[in-house]
Formats: sequence, C-alpha cells, structure tokens
Amino acid sequence: MDQKSPKTRRTFVAAITTIVAGTIAVVTPLLAGVVTFLSPLFKKSASPKVRVGLLSQLPDDGVPRAFPVIANRIDAWNRYPDQRIGSIYLIRQPGEEKPTAFTAKCPHAGCFIGYTPGDDKFRCPCHTSAFNLNGSRVNGDAEVAPRGMDHLPVTLVDVTAGDGEKVHEIWVEYIDFQTGLKEAVPTT
Amino acid sequence: MSGTIGKVVDWLDDRAGVRSLVHEALYERVPGGARWRYVWGSTLVVAFLTQLITGTFLWMAYSPSTQTAWESVFYIQYEMPGGWLLRGIHHYMAHAMVMLLGLHFAQVVWDGAYRAPRELNFVIGMVLMLVVFGLALTGYLLPWDQKGYWATSVGTNLASQAPLAGPDIRKLAIGGSDYGHLTLTRFLALHAGVLPGLLVVLLVPHLMLFRKHGLHAKEPLKGPDATFWPDQLLKDCVAALGVLVVVLVFAVYGGGADLTAPADPSSPYNAARPEWYFLFLFQFLKWFPGDLEVWGAFVIPGIFVTLMFLMPWIGRSRAGHKFNVGLLVVVLGGIALLTAQAVNDDFYAQWHERTEDNSTRYDASRAFITAKEQAARDAERIIELAQSAERIPPTGALSLMQNDPYLQGPKLFVQYCASCHTHEPNSADDELLGMASEMKIINPMPTAPNLAGVGSREWNLAILNPEKVADAHHLGYEGSPFVEGDMVTFVRDAFGEDVEAENREAVDNAVQAIVDALTNEADILRNRSALAAEKTQETIARGRELITGGLAEIVPNGMSCVDCHKFHDAGELGMAPDLTGYMSRQWMIDFIKNPAAERFYGDRNDRMPAFAPHDNPQLNQLDEHTIGLIVDWLRGDWVVTDAGEPSPVEK
Repeated sequence: MDQKSPKTRRTFVAAITTIVAGTIAVVTPLLAGVVTFLSPLFKKSASPKVRVGLLSQLPDDGVPRAFPVIANRIDAWNRYPDQRIGSIYLIRQPGEEKPTAFTAKCPHAGCFIGYTPGDDKFRCPCHTSAFNLNGSRVNGDAEVAPRGMDHLPVTLVDVTAGDGEKVHEIWVEYIDFQTGLKEAVPTT
Repeated sequence: MSGTIGKVVDWLDDRAGVRSLVHEALYERVPGGARWRYVWGSTLVVAFLTQLITGTFLWMAYSPSTQTAWESVFYIQYEMPGGWLLRGIHHYMAHAMVMLLGLHFAQVVWDGAYRAPRELNFVIGMVLMLVVFGLALTGYLLPWDQKGYWATSVGTNLASQAPLAGPDIRKLAIGGSDYGHLTLTRFLALHAGVLPGLLVVLLVPHLMLFRKHGLHAKEPLKGPDATFWPDQLLKDCVAALGVLVVVLVFAVYGGGADLTAPADPSSPYNAARPEWYFLFLFQFLKWFPGDLEVWGAFVIPGIFVTLMFLMPWIGRSRAGHKFNVGLLVVVLGGIALLTAQAVNDDFYAQWHERTEDNSTRYDASRAFITAKEQAARDAERIIELAQSAERIPPTGALSLMQNDPYLQGPKLFVQYCASCHTHEPNSADDELLGMASEMKIINPMPTAPNLAGVGSREWNLAILNPEKVADAHHLGYEGSPFVEGDMVTFVRDAFGEDVEAENREAVDNAVQAIVDALTNEADILRNRSALAAEKTQETIARGRELITGGLAEIVPNGMSCVDCHKFHDAGELGMAPDLTGYMSRQWMIDFIKNPAAERFYGDRNDRMPAFAPHDNPQLNQLDEHTIGLIVDWLRGDWVVTDAGEPSPVEK
C-alpha cells in the first residue's frame, strides 16, 4: 500500500496532468473575461468643478432655487459635451453673499429631492424623506434618509465682461456621494 | 406512408434510443390519476419557454446603448408589425411567471413536498426562483425609459449599502460609477445570456429529480393510478393555454407593455417604483429609517430567504412543517399587505380629501400622481416626435426631448418667467393650441402680462381693444407703469367711445386689418395657411397701410401706429417697441435677450431682466437656444410637421 508501484505512479501523474491541463484550458479564458468584467473597479471617478450661474440670478431671499449642473459627461466610448449631469439647489440667506449648495441627489437611495416654491421643506418623492431648508432631516434619526442633504463646496469667481462690467460667477464642485451611509463619503 | 415513418423512427431509435425516451417522458406514473392541482410546474415550464421564444425575437431588434436602447424598443413597439404584441407577451408573461412561481412554491410547502428525498430538488427550486427574480430585475431596465432607469437606479443604490463590498457590487453591476452604455451591455448579457443559461442548467436537474422521485401525490388519492399521457398532459396544456389567454388579454388590453419617456439622468422621475411584485420590498424599506436600513434591505430578507432554503430540514418533524406553513403564510400575507400599503400610499390622494392631519401623506401621494401623469404626457409627446417624419436623430431620443419646446417650454417658463408672468390660456386658446389644461402655469399674483397666446390674433385684438388693453392680463398688471401710458390712452381714444356711430364700422374694419397685418408679422406656424389666403393678403396689405399712416384719417385722435412705433421703413425707434416682425420668433428672442434695448422699451423698460445682453455667452443667463425653446413654446410652434403641413398637436 505504502510502496507505490510504477503503474499507480503513472496514474497519479496522469491524474495531476489531466487536472492541471483541464483547469488551465478552462480558467485562462475565464480569467481574461473576469479581468474585463472587474475593470470598473479600477476606474476612479472625479468630481468636476462646474459653473452653475451668475450670482445676480440668485436673490438673497433664503429661497432654494434649482440649478442644472452642466458639464462634459463621458460614458464609456462617448463624450457628451455640456450635459446636465445633475441638479443642485442654491440658497442665499438675506445679506449673505455666498450661497449654500445642496446636491439634489437624496442621501438615502439617490432619487431627486424635489422643492416646490413656497414650501418650507425639501421632499424626496421616493421614500418620502423630508429635509428642512438648511438640509437637515425633518424627523432626525426617524427619517428614512441616513443623513441630511449633502453640501457642495461653492466658490465665487469674479469675471469682467467685454463691456467692462464686473460679474460674479457661482462655481460648485459637483461631488457624487455614496447613498445610504451615515457619513457623506464621495463615490470613487 | 406509415411504413416510411416507422423506418425513420426505427433508425432514430437504433442510434438515439428515442422510443424509450418518449416512453419515459409520456408514461410517467401519476399516482391517483391526473389532477388540476398538478399543473403548476408545467405551466411554469411553458411560461419560461414563452419567455425564451419572445425574448429571442425581441433580442433580434434590441440594441443596448444609451442612444439606442429606448429607440430600438420604441421601434419594436411602434414600428415593427406585431412588435407591440411580442413585447406585451414577454412583459405580462414575466408577471405571470412570478405569480405561478408563488403558487408553485406555496403548493410545495403546503403539501410538504420538500421532504426527503426531495430536499435537493427544493433547494434547486429556490435557486431557480431567485434566478427568475434576477431576470425580472434586469429586464426592467433594458427599455432605458424613465420608469426602469430610476427604479433600477434606486435598487442598485440600495445594493451599494450591502455589508462589506456594497459599493463594489454596485460598480460591477452597472459597469462603472454611473449608469451608461456598460450598464446596458451588462444587464443585457445577464438578462439574455447568463441568467437564462443558469435557469436552463438548473431546470434540467430540477425536472430530472422530479422524475426520479416521482410526482408528490396529494392524499387522499382520487382514483386509480394513471400515466402522464394523455390525461395529465392534456390538463397541463389546457392550463398553459389558460395562462397564455390571460397574458394575451392583458397584452392586448394594455396595447403591449408600457414605454415611458427615454431615461434622462438629469430629470427627476418622481414616480420611480419597482414592478408590482417588488413593491413589497420597496414598502418594507420605509419601515427602516436611517442606519436601520441595512436590516430592511439585507438582514431581514436574508433571514427569510435562508429560512426558506432550510424548510426541508425544518419540516422533518410535524411541528417543523407547521412552522414552515406558518412562515409561508407570514411571507405571502406580509407581501400582500405591504403591496396593498404601497399602493394605498401612492394613490392616497385619489381616494381621500386633504386635511390638516393627512397633509404630508396626501402631498406625497399627489406628487406621485402628478409625476405619473407628467411622465405619461412626456412619453406621448416623445413617441409622437419619434414617429414624425423627422425620426430620431443619431444622438438619440433624449436630445429630441431636450430640444422640444413643448416638453421644455413649461419647465423653462417655471424656472425663468413664472415668478413675474403667468401663462393662462383661455378656453378658446385651449382649442386653438390644442393645449392640455395642465399646460397652464398660473402665477396668482403676476407682476407682468399673461403670456398665453402672445403673437396670436386674439392677443393683437386684445391689445387694440379699449376694454382689454389695460386689464390684468395685458398692460394693466400689478404695478404696471403702462396702465396709464400712451398706448392705453391711444387705444381708448382711437377705438373707444369717442368714435362716432357712422364711423364705427370703418374703425372696426381698420382694427381687424391691423390685427391681420400684425399677426402676419408674428408668422406663427399654425397661422401660415390662413394668412396665405388671397383675401387675408388683401386685408394684410390694407393693415400695413393703416399702420404706416392710414389709420390717422379714420380714428378721432388722428394718429397712427408709426407716430410712436417703427414699422419696417416707416417710423422711428426710441419711443415704443419696434413693430417690424412684432412677436416673430426672432423679435421675441431679441426681446428676451434685452428688453431695454433701443428697439424695444429702452429706458422705459419695466422690471423685465435682460437674459442675454452680452456678446460673450458665458456672461449671459440664458443662451439663444434655450430662449428659442421658451419662445417656440409661447408661440405654440411646437407642431409636428408630418405631412409638411403644420398642425397643432393634439394634447
């Protein structure tokens, strides 16, 4: 039993070779496929800085106004120039120069949070999350959304028009945040 | 003849043993004889075959990319003969499959048919059920319409909350960080290749094991044993036919499956809901706020599914079987309840009045219903455009949608105009413009004219009507500096009570002629054919004469339009808006760009902002294209010119 005869040794080698050869034959194409399948994991997404409008378009009345986010969008092999890649709300409090920016993407499941002029709340239509105008959750931790609306960094840029007129542009870094988390974590 | 067939069968039998195969298939023993209660497994097989067949043909016409997915489904649905029926059958058979699956599963559990030696087959059946759910989920996205896009996007966002590798799972499922081409190629590969393949791979052992262990007969037996052929097979086929008839009724009644507007990543779809059979999960999530969500989305459903997989072992004892039946009742009952609750939440506003107490609930439901109606209108419009002679551009239906004044006009009007203006077509305009009442955008406290019907004959008539010129819809809006202005004074003096009785008819005719001439300047598409009539051309010519001076000889105050306005070569700029091309497309665009220009109101401009006064487009609030969309919508120039003849679009 412990003394292997040449015959069983040959069978053993044959078995190993069969297994190895067969596995390589099947696994190699599979691996090639799996690598391409996993390719999205190796790609990192960037947050574009976008000009959303002029400061003069935004009265300092504390009322949220929706602005489209226009940027170039790349989808696999296509580049779409100047696409609406999302939507944000800008609010300027009375007397303040710099507006606050919220992304319209709900931190819960990524739906578009809606705002009807005159309302005192943002409302998400999907799972009825509601947010105060400062972005906090109306019902706190009892809200379906795990956190308040996500803030976006705002920069004001001074530009001089051709006719010498000075205008302020509102620029926003459009960050895409992961949904469903207690903390705001940008998607990678 | 029978001799030839016999020889062929003999030949096949020698080489492939077909006789014993057929015999095995047809003469399976059915303990206690054929019964209707045994048909459900077979109906599922037939349903799956239906999906394979219809799915294959749909695949032949489907193109998975963001510019072609919706477009190809549109083509199947509206252009290919019988395409709507093919889609309808595929769609409703998917629903039928989910229901039959529930029935099949419930029966197996109820009857305890999972007991040894059938445990393995039960487990295979459970996996098959999950595969079918996977097929349903992936199929929902493929038309790339608003409904499927947003519902699936919510679903995959939830997947990203899965413990451990959540975000990576989401990325792999959708082929990147955002939805796009690769989402469609992946979902199609799953839906048409991987999952059906897996289903076949599992269905074969499922059926083989079923045959190996025999049919699980329900006691008491109703009669002597029989064989599968003919009685049970007959019953199975009749049941399959019954399922098909029900599916056909739905497919024909619904005109095939629904196709909403093309997916627009930047445009919210507030009525995003999963298909009805997943609605219970959607509703279940509402119970788990914030951090608890992972319980609602993964832990609790995971526990239930695990328990269901373990049923054969739990059910070894009598008490265990009772537990399983109890679990079945809880799961099915829970699903029914949650589904009913979800539907009730969504349509609450249809069945209840709004009160203080229910306002939140009512408003949420109202928003859902409004979004659904809006989506239906969008879909109707975009399909109409896609069917017109223009067809769909290579950039896809979405660009068609984004460049359509009918769809974009109201949104842009709300965003940029409605804080001052209102848009209230009267009922005559409704008919004229084919405008749905939903197109009304009402500002209850307007501080500018009502813009419904600008440039139309009615608009020009109202401006020259002493009773209407200074009303709230025209120059008499809240805070208007024009309410006592030169124009109002002129209209009252020229066309009002000062006109002597014998001159009344001449004055009225003059007004009509001027109105025709001005309407001609506006050149609104739908008016073109009426204005081209020979008789109208004569009045237009007369109207032009009147505007450029002729009017002064008819009206009591002895003035004509060009005393203040410029009209082509007559008159001067600087006192009042230019009437050359009054309310034409370009005139309105230029006006919105800068109403304080010399050609329009100059220093006399009221509060109307200049939306594009700069040469550098970067400094302007709106670009010419966007202003054009607003203008085309206001003028009602959102016609579909199918036969070359412009006509207002129904609804």
